[in-house]
Formats: sequence, C-alpha cells, structure tokens
Amino acid sequence: MSNEKSQELDRMQDELNEMMREIMSGKIRGKEKTKKLRKVDRMQRIISKRRSGEMFSRAFKKDLVSYSFIAPNFIGFAVFTLVPIVFAFALAFMKWDGSNEITWSGIENFKRMGSDIFFQAALKNTIIYCIGTVPLSMIFSLGLAVVLNQKVKGRGIFRTLSFFPYVGSLVAVTAVWKMLFHPSKGPINALLYYVFKVPQDQLPQWFSGSLVLLSLILFSVWKYMGYYMVIYLAGLQNISPDLYEAASLDGAGTWDRFKYITWPQLRATTFFVVVMLTINCFKIYDIAIMLAGGGSGELTTSATVLVYYIYQKAFIDWDLGYSSAVAMVLFLIVLVITIIQFAGEHIREQ
Amino acid sequence: MKKRILTLILSATMITSLSACTKGGNPAPVTDPGTKPTEASNAGAGTEVTPVEPVTLKWAIWDKESTSYWQALADGYQASHPGATIEMVDLGSTDYMTVLATELSGSGSDFDVVTIKDVPGYATLVQKNAIAPLDDRIKADGVDLSKYAGVTDQVTVNGSLYELPFRNDFWVLFYNKDLFDAAGVAYPTNDMTFEQYDKLAREMTKTDFGEQVYGAHYHTWRSAVQLFGVLDGKHTILDGSYEFFKPYYEMVLNQEKDGVCRKYTDLKTEGLHYSAAFSGGDVAMLNMGSWFIATMISNLQSGEYDSSLCGNWGIVKYPHADGVPAGSTLGTITGISVTTATDTPDAAWDFVKWVSGEEGAAVMASTGNFPAIMTDEALGLITGLDGFPTDDASKEALNVSNLYLEVPYAENVSEINSALDSYHGSIMSGEMSIDEGIKAMNEAVSAIK
Repeated sequence: MSNEKSQELDRMQDELNEMMREIMSGKIRGKEKTKKLRKVDRMQRIISKRRSGEMFSRAFKKDLVSYSFIAPNFIGFAVFTLVPIVFAFALAFMKWDGSNEITWSGIENFKRMGSDIFFQAALKNTIIYCIGTVPLSMIFSLGLAVVLNQKVKGRGIFRTLSFFPYVGSLVAVTAVWKMLFHPSKGPINALLYYVFKVPQDQLPQWFSGSLVLLSLILFSVWKYMGYYMVIYLAGLQNISPDLYEAASLDGAGTWDRFKYITWPQLRATTFFVVVMLTINCFKIYDIAIMLAGGGSGELTTSATVLVYYIYQKAFIDWDLGYSSAVAMVLFLIVLVITIIQFAGEHIREQ
Repeated sequence: MKKRILTLILSATMITSLSACTKGGNPAPVTDPGTKPTEASNAGAGTEVTPVEPVTLKWAIWDKESTSYWQALADGYQASHPGATIEMVDLGSTDYMTVLATELSGSGSDFDVVTIKDVPGYATLVQKNAIAPLDDRIKADGVDLSKYAGVTDQVTVNGSLYELPFRNDFWVLFYNKDLFDAAGVAYPTNDMTFEQYDKLAREMTKTDFGEQVYGAHYHTWRSAVQLFGVLDGKHTILDGSYEFFKPYYEMVLNQEKDGVCRKYTDLKTEGLHYSAAFSGGDVAMLNMGSWFIATMISNLQSGEYDSSLCGNWGIVKYPHADGVPAGSTLGTITGISVTTATDTPDAAWDFVKWVSGEEGAAVMASTGNFPAIMTDEALGLITGLDGFPTDDASKEALNVSNLYLEVPYAENVSEINSALDSYHGSIMSGEMSIDEGIKAMNEAVSAIK
C-alpha cells in the first residue's frame, strides 16, 4: 500500500475517532446524534474497504449474507403482495376493467361512493358488525379465561371445549348453525314457539333482515372467543401470585382483585386482543357468505359487507378501479382505528 | 441421512407446486390430443376429404362430466373435420362466467372458443374486448339469423353480434301427476291465466302436518318470481321502473303466507335446490327452465330420483296474464364466441358456426337438450326421448310463441342484475315491503344508468 494512501486512511481514522469521542461524551443528542452515528458507520465502511483493497467492504458482505437470508421470503412477498398493494393504491384513482386501457380518473371513484347505496349499506353493516363483535368477544373471552384460570374441576375439559369452535371447520360449523337457527324447522325457533309461545308468524328470521347482523355477531363471538381466551389465559399466568396474596391480606374481595390487579396487569394482552379483533372484524367475508349467502353465495343489502362488495365490484362487474377505491377506504378505516388504539395505549403507558 | 430425505421432500414439494403454477390452475380435463386426430382422420378416410392442416381449438365449457352435449359436440365436429382437435377446458358451472372473465383478462389467454353462459357475463366480455364481433363472418358465410327466432336481436351490442346461440332454454311449468290424481284435481293446462294458476296451486295445497303438499314452488332466483311480469311483452328488466313486478310478488308472498309454497327464507337458509324440492314428491307445480327436462329424464332413469315420488310428471306452458295469448315464456340462451386472443380465428369461427348451426342443433337435440335452432325434427327427437312425458299436453307445451330473454343485453346489465337480485332477496325475505323494494329497485337502477 502506498504511503500516501495509508496517510489518508490514518487521517480518516482520526476524524472517525474524534467523532466517536464526541458522541460518547453525550454532548449531542436526538437527531444530530443519529446523523453523526450514520456518518460514522459510512466512514467505517469506507476505511475497511480501502484497507482490504477489495471491491466490497466486510460490513457490506455481512449485510449481503443477512439479506440473502430474508430474500426467499421477501421476494415472494414483494412479487405477490407488495407490488399488488402498491398497484391497488394507484388503481383507486383509475378506471380499469382488466382488459381495456387504464384511464386516469382522479378522485372520481371516491366521489362515486357518496351516492352508492350498496357501498353505504356494506360500510354500515361492517361497522355495526365490528361494534357488536369486538367488545362482546373481548368480554366473553376474558370472562372464560378468568373462570378457567381458577382451580375448578374439569378445567382441562372446559378449556378444550371452549377452544373447540375455533378448531372446527367454518363450513361444517355454519351448516350446524343454519340447522339450529332454521326459521321454521330449527330447534331455537321451536323452543321459542312451544315454550315461550311466540306466534308462528313472529318467529325471528335469523338470517335475513335486521337479525342477520345479530346472527353474524353471535356466531363470530362463539367461534373465536376460544382463541382469544387462550391469549388471555397466557396473560393471566404471567400475573405474579404475590400480588393476589398481598391483596387478600389487605382484605380485597373478588371484584377488587379483578379491578385492581387482573385488569391492569392484563392491559398489554387486552391491547393485543382488541387490535387483532378489530382488524379481523373488518375483514369479515367468509362468515357472512356462509351464514347469509344461501346457495348462490349472494348477499342482500341487509347482509352485505365491505369485502364482499369489493369482490363483487372487481370480479362480477369488473370495475377494478372502483373496487380498489373501496378497498382503500377499508384500509384507511382499519389504519385509523389501529393508530388511535396505539396512541391510546401510549398515553395510558405514561 | 435424515437431512437428505428432508431436502428431497422439500424440493419435491417445490417442484410440484411450481409445475402446478405453470399449468395455470386448470390441468384436469384436457382431452388427449394424441388419439383424437387419428380417430378423426380414420372416420373421414372413406369420404372425400381434402387434407386439412391440423388445428387445435381450446374451448371453455363447464361441468363436462355431468353434461352430455359437450363431448357429443366435440366428437361430432372432429368426425366431420379431420385435422381439427377440440380441447375442452372445464371451468365449473358455479362461477363459470367469473372464472372465464378472469381467464380472458390481460394477454395471457389461450382460449380460441368460449361458451357464454349468461347475458351479464356476455356484456362483461364484450366490454372487455375479450370476444370478437361476428358480423362480417356472419355476412360472408351467409348465416341466416332468422333461424334463431329473434333472440339474437336481444343480445346485439351497438349493431354487432358477439355470440351465436347454440342452446335455447325456456321456462315451463312442471307438475306432479300423482299428486293431482290423489287430490282428484284436473291437471294444469297449456292455457292458464295467473288467476287460474293461483287457484289451482291453492287447491292442491295440503297443510296437514306430516303430509304437506305444496301447490307451487318458486326457486330463490329472481327470474322465478318477478319475471312473470315481463311475459306481456310490454316490459323488460331494463325499464328502470318496476311497478309491473308488484302483482306477481303479491301472488307469491300471499301463497307463501298461506303455506302454498315453501318460504323463501327457509329455502335460502337450507340452500334447497329446486330439483330436490320437486323430486321429493311434495311439490305439485314448479316453474323452471326446460333444462330440467333432461335432468328429470336422466335422474329418473339412473334411479337418483325416486320414481314413486316424482316419476309421473308432465309439463305445460307457462301461465299468462289476462289478455295475453298463451305460449309466451322466458328464455335463456347459451352462446358460443370466438375470443379476440385466438391465433386461429378462421378455424374458431368454423367451429362456432358448426355448433350453432343445424349440425350442432341435431347433436343437441339427440342429447335431450334444446338447440337454439328449433326444428320440428329436433322437437321430435326430444319428445321422442325415452322418459319424456307421453301425454299430448306435454308435447304441445314445447311450442313457444314468444320468447323473452331473462336478461336482454344492456351496457350496465351486470350491475342492474345485481341490484335487482339484491332487492328481490329483500322483498322475498320480508325485509322490505313490496312497495319499498320496488322503490329501491327504481332508485338503484336509475343511479346505475
């Protein structure tokens, strides 16, 4: 290595050391510190590259190895998920039927939603469904978890039983529900008719009209509470028994113990459960199709949901632009709600 | 060792999944191209045949196994056209038009000929430029459209025709003779007004527990109820104002209330198929398309339907409104089109012409299906089938005077169709009153236009 070059490298090394000292001294903070750190990293790479005299620095090679590990997954994700997502964003401002040329339409697609009664019905139904499902699922799964965390007889069996609906195939389970709630032959309505003397023409039509959303809510609470119960159980196991012991020494009752120990200690779990529930609820499609779709899998205005409407607009009417715009609305709703939840969690933490 | 086995398994799964990808998801029903051409050339060897360049046509169809005419049409064409190979691709019937539209999107399609199942799907494909206009070829080859009894006019798009029908179904009234005999009521006739039909359905109804008989049955389709309204020839579903549906909704909902027919909500919850309802032997009359005739005949012969329950059946013409002559009914055409993506448009058109022409019609009739070109000969073939009802009224029922398509062509027919479907469900399930539902239909369709 020439003398000149090594001198330059030494000079750079000195500069680097100076910078490091500055950072370590704690004089600079915040953004400036990150900026400096980045500069240090860059310089280190350059120095090591020049010293070794090779094309790529050692750090870069190390990075390459790490990238190669995530590459198989990331390439698949990029091709099949990332690119379509970005494309869908763009499509929301365009008009396209999948074959003819794409034309730019600006915010026309979003304006159209204002007068689209089917979109509004789908949006309303989805929101009602979420408002019903999220708190109910949370309450029921928490209640189940608290009860089944106690040393009751047959705890294992009850835990398994409450997890059963989650394991069962959706198709099979909805078929059974449809039989149970069959408007004129189902045992539920038979019970109402024979025991509670509800007149025949006033028996509830579980899968149409205003009751269809109630059926959807009840069904998903029942099907998914087992899953969230398991998450809550894990949360409950993490609470130190010392806390309960101290509370009982202070003479706290069951409710007090729940209010002052269990609930606050479960805050992180509850946060996770609520976020997952909200996202999953807005995605509702399969349950609605299976329960209210009938043989043809078509949903009437009283049961239609956003994801179904997106599918219908895209693959039945071939209005891909408008369909993407509706998908964007769904995305924004979920995003905003999740951000609010995170912000709320952040505030409570402090 | 263990590791090596694991690697082998992993690479095997990857290879199979990759090869499944390249096949594009429809690997199953490809006819063996190795055998067919030789068969065809053998068959044609005796007759005067000029050597033809071998051509393979890829044809989109549905339910190959359970539908008799696909193979019969392909065989018939191959026998008379040496060198031609018809390769059928089964896309399934449930969402055939959706799958087909997806297949024909973009530029990756290699279908030459596609079957068109319904008019909304046809409208989609026309707008997507996926199927080619046939006017020039129709003119050049002198195809006589008058043979199709006017139905081609109802699917003409801006003066151009993109499909030729090869199958033409129309709605009739099926009835169970045993039930009428048991009740001592005279059979329905080929000339009934809706009042007479309603009265007859009520006469046939028995609500005693355990031996219920339903006088009528309406499938959950919109067509089965509201399209009674278009039979007077004054209205179509493209009108934009749907007050003419009202009397028929009233009739059916009143029948439902009195136990004359099964409840819509029950049918919807159970997903009960009309064939299961009629073959169960407790439905006296069922309005359904003529495609059900072939199903009845073959399923009774195979023993799938219990002949003691529904073996003694007949058909009559659709009931009609006061002042309208009998014989008007609803129709559904099945068409065949040439794709815009095909590399061999001439060969594809030749196949389309053959299937929709008289030769194709003869093949259709011989399998018990109704060809779009209805000749006395074809009619004779169907009524002469073993298992077709032997009474004269049933034969006479097949003479249609006016045929109105369930869904004629319009630019937004797909959206209009889903709006009407949706509110049909709302009215039938009692979510909306008839007036509210019709008002909502009017509003929704005017918003689409």
